Amino acid sequence: MAKTKTLNKRRQSIRSIRKITRTMELISTACYRGAMDRAMSAMAYTDRLTNMVRNLASSGAEVSHPLLVPHAETKTVQLLVLTSNRGLCGGYNGGILRRAVRRWNEMTGKVTDAAEQKVENALLDVAGKRGISYFNFRKVKPTETYTQFEDKPSWDEVEVIANRYLEEYLTGKIDRLEIVYTKFYSMSKQAVVHETLLPLTELGSDDDAKKSGTDNNFSAEYDFLPSAESILKEIVPASFKTKLFKCFLDAAVCEQIARMVAMKAATENADAMIQTLTMAVNRSRQSQITGELTELIGGVEALK
Amino acid sequence: MSSNIGHITQVIGSTFDVEFAEDSLPAIYNAVKIESDKNGVKLNLTGEVQQHLGSGRVRCVALGSTDGLIRGLECKDTGAPVTVPVGPETVGRVFNLLGEPIDNRGPVKAKAFSPIHRDAPKIADLSTKTEVFETGIKVIDLLTPFVRGGKAGLFGGAGLGKTVIIQELIARIASAHGGYSVFAGVGERTREGNDLWLELQEAAIGQTGKHVIDQTCMVFGQMNEPPGARLRVALSALTMAEYFRDQSGMDVLLFVDNIFRFSQAGSEVSALLGRMPSAVGYQPTLASEMGALQERITSTDKGAITSVQAVYVPADDPTDPAPATAFGQLDAFVYLERAISEKGIYPAVDPLASSSRVLDPQYVGEEHYQCARRVQSTLQRYRELQDIIAILGVDELSEADKLVVHRARRMERFLSQPFLVAEAFTGKKGEITPLKETIRSFNEIYEGKWDHLPESAFMYVGGIEQAAEQAERMEAAAKK
Repeated sequence: MAKTKTLNKRRQSIRSIRKITRTMELISTACYRGAMDRAMSAMAYTDRLTNMVRNLASSGAEVSHPLLVPHAETKTVQLLVLTSNRGLCGGYNGGILRRAVRRWNEMTGKVTDAAEQKVENALLDVAGKRGISYFNFRKVKPTETYTQFEDKPSWDEVEVIANRYLEEYLTGKIDRLEIVYTKFYSMSKQAVVHETLLPLTELGSDDDAKKSGTDNNFSAEYDFLPSAESILKEIVPASFKTKLFKCFLDAAVCEQIARMVAMKAATENADAMIQTLTMAVNRSRQSQITGELTELIGGVEALK
Repeated sequence: MSSNIGHITQVIGSTFDVEFAEDSLPAIYNAVKIESDKNGVKLNLTGEVQQHLGSGRVRCVALGSTDGLIRGLECKDTGAPVTVPVGPETVGRVFNLLGEPIDNRGPVKAKAFSPIHRDAPKIADLSTKTEVFETGIKVIDLLTPFVRGGKAGLFGGAGLGKTVIIQELIARIASAHGGYSVFAGVGERTREGNDLWLELQEAAIGQTGKHVIDQTCMVFGQMNEPPGARLRVALSALTMAEYFRDQSGMDVLLFVDNIFRFSQAGSEVSALLGRMPSAVGYQPTLASEMGALQERITSTDKGAITSVQAVYVPADDPTDPAPATAFGQLDAFVYLERAISEKGIYPAVDPLASSSRVLDPQYVGEEHYQCARRVQSTLQRYRELQDIIAILGVDELSEADKLVVHRARRMERFLSQPFLVAEAFTGKKGEITPLKETIRSFNEIYEGKWDHLPESAFMYVGGIEQAAEQAERMEAAAKK
């Protein structure tokens, strides 16, 4: 019977899909550990550095750094979207891209009732093939695309990008740098966030300040040597770079976690489907045999 | 007529053997009559000769109940096959397969009678016209256009709504149609036949002041009848329709519910006649029986018979020999699918399995053809993606595929339609959607003009504008 054959074929293809999802689940579990270690170790460093910059900025009111000061007019806004290169990670990219497109539509004035005003000049950078193809499909052309970031983003690669943004900000080519990515809080909590990286004043969000504030309640008295200016000159760009690097690291961990969860669910779905299909295959096979047997017996009886 | 009388020698279920004098055997398909009043049991049975067994014995199929039949009873050869009354006197009446009225309205004073066994029209007499027949049902008009003077089959398993669609088509076509209609109830529920009869008495034909029943004759051989009756009732109805076609030259509508019962009755009879069963236990003569019937349902240069037949699909398996045999005979093939009825989409027509001979730019025009193919390819892609969506989720699809899924889901729902005959159940007025509007609506969905409407807005509406209205109503209701 044709039905048995098509059912069998379908079951076979679902088995192959299951093999892939199961393998991806195992791989992402392995990758996730490494990515999380990197993100956790970077987290401490970044937090500390951010704190320091904030303290410095607040303590020495007379000293300042161009990266800490918002431009008088916000004309050009750069949006950076971090997505993954590969799929099979459930709603990971979907979530990021939904958030990114919402922001992009606000920036380009496509949404009229947006909270923020349309900016004069909206620029878009996308990391990850998924996001690139998404924006291509939407006929939005990103200025710059990056596909070199896999599950281990390297400092050198990120620094190149960070330097470019720093330069563009300082020369006034861009007035603000915003980023959309998935922030890693813990194994069980990740969230898509939209943050402003430049100018750095808007960097420390409220809960960050509170968290770091607990162990820094005493207002630190700094002695600047050789001078506050030279220290800020070093530390502020470094802070931005680590912050950006941290975003990439977070994105990498979250991708792996999302993939792990998605693949686990997919494997389970495939298992359930294989089970029902196996049942259907067996049933149709059995009814075929029964049919043939009755025909045979009927034929023999009729010939008697 | 010199009466040729034989005696019953054997009774096996609904077949019996009669012994005649060896030199006066009745011909095959001749009707034989048994009338007796023995032991207080009144018997008036007609049988049909099926086999000559040798030494004067013939084996007959009973066309009524064989209760009370005993060996030795006298049996008279009528010298001709079963004949039924035909002509304008038959309209408005309800018959059994023997042409006897069963509606308690007195005898039929027909001027003409016609035997139920006839040859199919000659090849040279067949009509070659091909014209599309509009029904106002979106899914049928778009994907499986019916042919005027052609045959359409409604295939479906138990409880998918074949009978409802047949009744809907009667309500739509017969009420707009000036000519005669013939309805054959073959082996289905007697209650449904009664419902239909009452409904036709109420339904009016346009503004003429006439009722549908005044232009319709109905022939019933329902579930309770013995297999012989169910086997021949379709022929009786067809004979009446043929007369209208050949004599009045009018377009005739023939509705058959359900042609599968014809094959099934044939299988029962075949077993009783002692023929060896063939594939899946059907009679070895399955294809020739079906062919003999279907070839007669055809349009000639005198007139046209447009027929709509319901075909039951046992165990939802379309490869079963009975529906498979019927399939080859039809111009339009409407397949009802359980998975679609489970989604609550009625009519539960499977847009991919259904087809029509005239869905060809030559007949329906380029625009219609392109639209139908676009709808089918979208739904086909959606079906291919369904396994992937079930396993990996919709997020894994590419952007283009997501859009296909988005629109396919809307199209799928837009194929549903409120029915005239189901108004009492759905609470929605039946919708007759002109073909032009159907094509425009589907083209617009395909092009993405209605992507913003929620899926449920597409359920049970006529044209696409109604979907927009429904969406507004739903939004208003949600705000309250």
